[in-house]
Amino acid sequence: MAVNPEEMEVRQDVVRRETAETSSYEAGAAIRQSSLWRDAWQRFSHNKAAVISMVAFVLLVIYVVITPWVVPYDPNNVDFSSAYLTPTWSHPFGTDEFGRDLFLRTALGGRISIGIGFAATFAIMVIGIAYGAISGFAGGWLDNAMMRFLDALYGLPYLPFAIITLAIFGTVNFWTMVVSLTIASWLTTARVMRGQIITLKENDYVRSARAIGARWYRILFRHLLPNTLGVVIVFVFLELPNVVLGEAFLSFLGLGINPPKASWGSLAQDGYQQYLSHPHIIVIPSVAIAWLILSAFFIADGLRDALDPRTREAA
Amino acid sequence: MPLLEVENLKTYFKSRRGDVRAVDGVTFAVERGLTLGIVGESGCGKSVTALSVMGLLTPNARIVDGAIRFDGRDLTRLSERELEDVRGRQIAMIFQDPMTSLNPTLTIGTQLTETMKRHLDMSTDAARKRAIELLEEVHIPNARQRLDDYPHRYSGGMRQRVMIAIALSCNPKLLIADEPTTALDVTVQAGILDLLEELREQHEMSMIIITHDMGVVAEAADDIAVMYAGQIVEQATAEDLFDRPEHPYTEALLGALPQLEGENVREGRLTAIRGRPPDLVDLPDACRFAPRCPYANPNDACARHNPELREIRPAHLVRSAHPASERAGALAGADA
Repeated sequence: MAVNPEEMEVRQDVVRRETAETSSYEAGAAIRQSSLWRDAWQRFSHNKAAVISMVAFVLLVIYVVITPWVVPYDPNNVDFSSAYLTPTWSHPFGTDEFGRDLFLRTALGGRISIGIGFAATFAIMVIGIAYGAISGFAGGWLDNAMMRFLDALYGLPYLPFAIITLAIFGTVNFWTMVVSLTIASWLTTARVMRGQIITLKENDYVRSARAIGARWYRILFRHLLPNTLGVVIVFVFLELPNVVLGEAFLSFLGLGINPPKASWGSLAQDGYQQYLSHPHIIVIPSVAIAWLILSAFFIADGLRDALDPRTREAA
Repeated sequence: MPLLEVENLKTYFKSRRGDVRAVDGVTFAVERGLTLGIVGESGCGKSVTALSVMGLLTPNARIVDGAIRFDGRDLTRLSERELEDVRGRQIAMIFQDPMTSLNPTLTIGTQLTETMKRHLDMSTDAARKRAIELLEEVHIPNARQRLDDYPHRYSGGMRQRVMIAIALSCNPKLLIADEPTTALDVTVQAGILDLLEELREQHEMSMIIITHDMGVVAEAADDIAVMYAGQIVEQATAEDLFDRPEHPYTEALLGALPQLEGENVREGRLTAIRGRPPDLVDLPDACRFAPRCPYANPNDACARHNPELREIRPAHLVRSAHPASERAGALAGADA
């Protein structure tokens, strides 16, 4: 009888596994965990720019979260005797025109900026994924109608769109800001998700799932959406800086959160009038915004390379 | 009564130039416990035939005419929901490329138990236990541990074994294997075919094997249907077809096979079939194989209309005006 090479391989595999098991079961278990995510983490941690950005991002978030608890000043206390102080040890970022401590106010502004950023990004993901998934999965006339609607919205420029939405609300607070930024910027996520779902839908394993009689919701939630997770994670870190920048821009134009509360954008706006005499007031929030945006972009870049190594190899 | 009877099946695709007649009047039956092989070149309609049976056609295709009777029920009349209950439970299908047929984000165990939980109302524990048995049945070593692995830890051959295990999990009556070995190494192919045959016997299934590879059907099929341009051109038992092919196309297919041993070992180049299959949108009235047929000439009846499928001898159907046994001088060579 001819020896089937695959059978041989299988037999050897059995032997190998059995010896491994008798020696140490834990060793086998450790190998087992080398999964998709572990590989991705490996690749991510070898990307210097991404790791440094990750550390920078975390440091910024820690600064923003911790500072208001440990700094002894009142963020809204007006004290003209200490106005326009340049950075010193007691006021690391100096003070503004009312003598308020900028180290504290930048942290509080960061809470609002980053908070709006995360909340809006979350909302964008939820709406964009739902819209894109429905459109791509349903296909046909529904897909067509949904995409034409999206095209129509694309016609409106991003910031005017957000401004109009804010104007409709009439007031500006944390949540109206989140809603208007979400409405202005969920479009791209929806488009990308639709593309993802359409590509994934053509996959053989989707056809295999249909061949075993799986219903549509099973295919959508079990086979399609989990496979978009990598793209979604990358998109979170691409949308976050966009939203933060959008919020900063609106605040800089004076359409942001009402004083005495502040976001990075309105802090920069405060410093804008005295940027020649007291440059630190505008520089500090600007650096904070740039810090967040750059680190988020580099993280997104690293994540994309880590989750889809083929793009890296092709480049 | 045969398990599956396909009668005058016509499946057309919409295209800008008109209907693409991918399957154009196909009739065959699959007997209980037997294997039917459907052979033909790319684009001859063999896969579309299978997808029609499964009800898995893409939205631009539709079954225009014909009946697909499975166990007495006409599948073409079932709703999508009813079809979903048939798929995986009564008829299972395995596809060409095992590397992409498994979802990379789910463990093998999840994908194996999916079908059973869907159709058999099994608990997770019972389904897992059965999944281990199934993996053992398809000869995957260390089944218990390998159940929680993700597909990327399986080789191509092993993945096809998993696909077979998934297909078998609900004890279907019919298994459709669409090019089950095409994407695999030659060395692995034989193992998969042996496994399919072994399991077909154990589970008392019928099977349809779709392939372009004459070698595969020779090994696996009881009956063979040869398709060309959307139609069956020859149908016979495997033995009869290989011993005494009638249709010039079948002859040509066999002539294009490399022969390594035996009395008629071939030397020199393989014979290729001249020309290309006809355009399925704009089909001629003549025999669809006529332009490539070495025996056809413009004065024949087959240049004017397509010959019917006829029984040239018991259990041997052929659609040609020039079957081998009716050609001049054929009598001398027939029994050679």
